[in-house]
Amino acid sequence: MLRRLAHSIFVLLGLSVLVFFIARVMPGDPARMSLGPRAPETVVQKFREELHLDKPIYVQYYYWLKGALQGDFGMSLFTKRDVADDIREFFPATLELIVFTGIIMSVFGILLGVASARYANRWPDNVVRVFSYLGICTPAYVFGILFLLLFGYILNILPTIGRISPILNYPRLVTGFLTIDSLLAGDFRVFWDALKHLIMPGLALALGPMAQEARITRSSMTENLQRDFIALERSQAIPERRIMSRYLMRISIIPTVSVLGLDFASQLGWAFLVELIFNWPGLSRYGINVMLHKDLNAIVAVIMIIGLMFLVVNIIVDVIVGGLDPRIRLGAERSK
Amino acid sequence: MKKVLYILCILLLLPAFAVFAGSAEKQKKAPEVKEEATPAPAVEAKRELRVTFSWPTYIDPSVGSDFSSSSSFVNLYDSLVYPTPSGAAKPSVATKWESSPDGMVWTFYLRKGVKFHNGDELTAEDVAFSMDRLVTIGEGYGYLFAGRVKRSEVVDPYTVRFHMATPYGPFLTTVVRLYLLNKDEVLAHVKSDGTYGEFGDYGKAWLLTHDAGSGPYKVKDMRLEEYLLMERFDDYWGEFKPNAPDEVKYIGTTEPVTIRTMMARQELEISDQWQTVEALESLDAIEGVDIVTMYLGTMFYYMMHTKKPPTDDVHFRKAMAWAIDYGTVLNNLFPGSRMAVGPVAPGFPGHNPNLTKYTRNLDKAKQELKLSKYYKDLENNPVEVHWIAEVPDEEKVALLFMSNMADIGIKVNIVKTPWMSVVEEMGNIDMSPNIVTVFVAPHFAEAGSLLDSRYHSKSANTWEQNEWLQDPVIDSMLEDAIATIDMDERFETYGKIQKKLDDLCPSINLFEQAQKHAYQASYIDWPAVYGDKIPVMGYDFDARFIQVYPEKKK
Repeated sequence: MLRRLAHSIFVLLGLSVLVFFIARVMPGDPARMSLGPRAPETVVQKFREELHLDKPIYVQYYYWLKGALQGDFGMSLFTKRDVADDIREFFPATLELIVFTGIIMSVFGILLGVASARYANRWPDNVVRVFSYLGICTPAYVFGILFLLLFGYILNILPTIGRISPILNYPRLVTGFLTIDSLLAGDFRVFWDALKHLIMPGLALALGPMAQEARITRSSMTENLQRDFIALERSQAIPERRIMSRYLMRISIIPTVSVLGLDFASQLGWAFLVELIFNWPGLSRYGINVMLHKDLNAIVAVIMIIGLMFLVVNIIVDVIVGGLDPRIRLGAERSK
Repeated sequence: MKKVLYILCILLLLPAFAVFAGSAEKQKKAPEVKEEATPAPAVEAKRELRVTFSWPTYIDPSVGSDFSSSSSFVNLYDSLVYPTPSGAAKPSVATKWESSPDGMVWTFYLRKGVKFHNGDELTAEDVAFSMDRLVTIGEGYGYLFAGRVKRSEVVDPYTVRFHMATPYGPFLTTVVRLYLLNKDEVLAHVKSDGTYGEFGDYGKAWLLTHDAGSGPYKVKDMRLEEYLLMERFDDYWGEFKPNAPDEVKYIGTTEPVTIRTMMARQELEISDQWQTVEALESLDAIEGVDIVTMYLGTMFYYMMHTKKPPTDDVHFRKAMAWAIDYGTVLNNLFPGSRMAVGPVAPGFPGHNPNLTKYTRNLDKAKQELKLSKYYKDLENNPVEVHWIAEVPDEEKVALLFMSNMADIGIKVNIVKTPWMSVVEEMGNIDMSPNIVTVFVAPHFAEAGSLLDSRYHSKSANTWEQNEWLQDPVIDSMLEDAIATIDMDERFETYGKIQKKLDDLCPSINLFEQAQKHAYQASYIDWPAVYGDKIPVMGYDFDARFIQVYPEKKK
């Protein structure tokens, strides 16, 4: 674990160097873009000096790293405030959305995969298969638009935009998750309202990966059903339900968990179109906006957050997988 | 396995429960009361005006200058003067004003008893501070005054004087953009580690999400990536229409599906101007929703490089101007747009209508081409057109242009170019292509705004001029016009400049852009829909003149 963490630091450092330099070679003058095309040149030049853009690129990186190690990512040219403040505000919104999405895609994905494997080549399996193909082929934003039209317009039963209805107040923010913070504040009305706002964007993001996980789970379970130990357990009259839930599922969901981790971390970058459609004030949408505005400080910070997310999730996945199948954990320890 | 199915069913029911538990709220008729507010009357529905805008919005009047920011300034702040449809200024916080004969000193006399949102009275000290802050920061509308206003002077609590560096004729027109901040409130919120010396950050961080204004509305809540919510200021000195909204919300989205859904659910009163033709048609199809078209003087130009072959030849340029199919552009590609006559929008204050009215005339085009030095070698003198990648509709015009030019033997190459690359190219005379297609909006409500920013030599290396005109006669005429205090004389000079540009033909002036909004015609009364529109960005969204009738909602 310590070695993994040490490696992660080097990975993040390398990522920061890469992103930092790429952002600076993109065409466009960030100072001019931030101040507008009509700002006097003297003002723009002063701003360039404040951003150290007049210095060599390695000096700029030094200033950035020095600040980043103290939690100061500089000023956002897009929002005109500290990037750290932006991340503090927008990251929890996206994290809440992708956690909700993660719960849907993992629970339903695995359950559908199990059902599909149990009733292999019968109608439940065929239904799940069709659903899987649709889910995998259809982009999340298409689902978002469809849900908006169906639930927001035709049926008019779900809210269209934002995290909370205009008539309600935000609760005192502790975690930044409106659902958790409202429960902590004892405000169930806000809790249900926040949950309702999560449904459409969460489902839109979840359906694709959920379909993928269902397929992987089905495939893995079907393959493992042919294993000798399953035949042995059946011969010993162990109930089928117990075989599926206790013995088979445990080893079969290992590939699913691995892919789930990647899908979960990826949502941080993929969610921007869904966030745009539902006017969700999240990090993903912020990330796209800062890239379009060549907001150097914010670009690096957002990509570092996404990179950190991948690293953390991979570590968690490794731990879970090691717990599900101790042979993997022991094998890794022996190879050291 | 049945257990699995049971679990699946329960999990599916949970969101449904959340939906219906929340739906119960819809049964209530009375508006929800927030904890700190006094209980609202049981029957009267809240008058709210919700408008979508392209984001971000900067509500600091020394920082923002785009459409959403300008619209917010109009509601949160006051200016010394208020614009009229003719471009002239009428009294606002200033009841009268005068300038010295040489135009070097402007004196404004203030209205007494104007209150800021925190209860302080607006005085000359605040006006002087606002100008100094705007010029020092230099962002937003600061460019209108930087280098022109030398210093501000407080004569007495209700008299402020501006000393100019040079005579500036349009000063009264531009002072519309000097929004007045409460000096004490701003200074109470400065961060000491800013870059403005004793003024720290000049309150920029605080003013991102708060206001220090005296306008008809004040900030209730500002969420940087979501919305700006403003509430009515009951102690406002000026006029409110009887059914003006109690709350105004600017929502940061331009997604067509989202807007269509909100419009249909009557959760949105006015849409942004960035909806496509198809999106506007589907909005128009919603019962009770209509489309309004506005013109704010924004022009679409084919800016021709006058120093690069073959567009360095005036006859070549005129030939192209005569060959374009303007009808298709106006009727099919940008429906609702107005045909341009000259480089300034028709009807814009100071426009000269007596200029060449270009139409598609291939005979005239060929006649002009024959006079060109490139006539005999068109094959080796192609024209390169760069259109802006972020505006997909420009490609259609570029393709039409290519086809039209082929009719007279001119070869055209069209290149899709990202905006950032276009700005970089236009900063260098050798890198600038033959033609760049750009929308340009005026800075203030006079023809001189576009003429100066488009054709003076000082703008030759900016995104506003690809022509590289660098004509000393035009420069001199522009400088004379801008220095002329008398409006009629100034407009006369503008007319002469436009005539000269007509002879030079440095640009193909395609059309004045139509700005279209969908709005709830069934329950809002918006003056912009009828009557004269104010040709200053944001003023048609002055919410105190927009009336909302929630009782007429379905």
